[in-house]
Amino acid sequence: MAGPAAQRLAGTALEGLLRSVARGDQAAFEAVCARASPAVYGVVRNVVRDPAQAEEVAQEVLLEVWRAAPKFEPGRGSAMAWVTTIAHRRAVDRVRSEQRSAERQRRAAWYPIAYDEVAETVEARLDRERVRRCLGALTSLQRESVTLAFYGGHTFREVAELLGVPEGTVKTRLRDGLIRLRDCLGADR
Amino acid sequence: MRLRRPELHSLAGAYALNAMTGADRARFERHLARCPACAQEQHSLRETTALLAAAVAVEPPADLVERSVAAAARTRQLPSATAEAGTWWPARRGHRTGLGHRAGRAHRTPVPRGAWQAVPRRLPHALAAALLAVAAASAVIAVTAEHRLGAAQSRDQAIAEVLTAPDAVLVTSRVKAGGTVTVVTSHRDHALVFTAAGLPRLPFGRCYELWLMGPRGDRSAGMLPTPHRGMTSPVTATGLAAGDWIGLTVEPAGGSAHPTSTPILMLNVMA
Repeated sequence: MAGPAAQRLAGTALEGLLRSVARGDQAAFEAVCARASPAVYGVVRNVVRDPAQAEEVAQEVLLEVWRAAPKFEPGRGSAMAWVTTIAHRRAVDRVRSEQRSAERQRRAAWYPIAYDEVAETVEARLDRERVRRCLGALTSLQRESVTLAFYGGHTFREVAELLGVPEGTVKTRLRDGLIRLRDCLGADR
Repeated sequence: MRLRRPELHSLAGAYALNAMTGADRARFERHLARCPACAQEQHSLRETTALLAAAVAVEPPADLVERSVAAAARTRQLPSATAEAGTWWPARRGHRTGLGHRAGRAHRTPVPRGAWQAVPRRLPHALAAALLAVAAASAVIAVTAEHRLGAAQSRDQAIAEVLTAPDAVLVTSRVKAGGTVTVVTSHRDHALVFTAAGLPRLPFGRCYELWLMGPRGDRSAGMLPTPHRGMTSPVTATGLAAGDWIGLTVEPAGGSAHPTSTPILMLNVMA
């Protein structure tokens, strides 16, 4: 639940909030958490799967945002991209350190978390529709490669093994696929 | 750049998706530092992955924000002056946070002195061989069907990896309630092998569950298999973190998400 300070800061852009966080402003940090935690928890939950571990990793991510806020450079990307990059990196670190590849490969196929299990946010519903539409515009190999890598937390070498295609093919599909997604989503800045 | 290093450039997608490890990543990061166009491409691809993340946003657990804010109040921030040119996001892992001080998180039982003797020492080769023999024998027992063969093989490989790790340390301990446990840990691999002998028999519907307990909280490290003639075959667990203790509790069959009884064993396996 967002506190009163977080609600007061609700209209401020995430970049501005992060600048305040960089100066040690705890109210701004609470506002950043309120804004970013659904995406942070969502991406961590997808990669880590186990809810208890996901919660632990998500907290580590938010704390990392606090700790590293002074290093955030707005000129190099959006605050949301910065935060979700930290979240995804932490999540894949966790699964790669905890699971032997044999086990990971057994439950290899990427499957989306059932949405009745967790309450999705309204923003997520809109974003998900766009992302789903744009993912649908990719070739199936591009789509499988991108989703296995991002939501499954797999390395490109693992993706190649899972899909039974050469590593070089996966490398180029990941890049082509992401570029097509970027153009479709209009996320290029 | 692009023409001279086409194979590196093709890794831009894998890098933006964090789908690379170790040497691959280091090579690409060196390339990024010399290729402004590639760095620019990375920024745009990161914005795309941010949308992939936003698409799976869900309501987080109720107290996540509250706990994070409380932990932040105890955690020192990085100085902005140390910002490195190449890394836009912070370095991976290996820092201290305020997480460990979260009140009421570690259900740590004080360990009575003399109840057990922890004897850390380098793993003698003969013992490693003996443990491997136990593992191999138990694998043979376990093999009743094709799919179990695969599981047993990967498990034994995991055991062998821990036992042969250069930093493997053996700790043996008596359990006050009865029996002896032996734990081999490799902090390098964040992994351990646990075996036991003579643990008290449990009533029907109860099992032993192994835990990693420490600053990261209590994490189940799996259920102990039913002993065979008093010997519990080796169990491997990964995810060992700095400051973790090994705990053993009695739980309902099938296990619990968190310990529901006082540990009958708490073993310090710190490096």
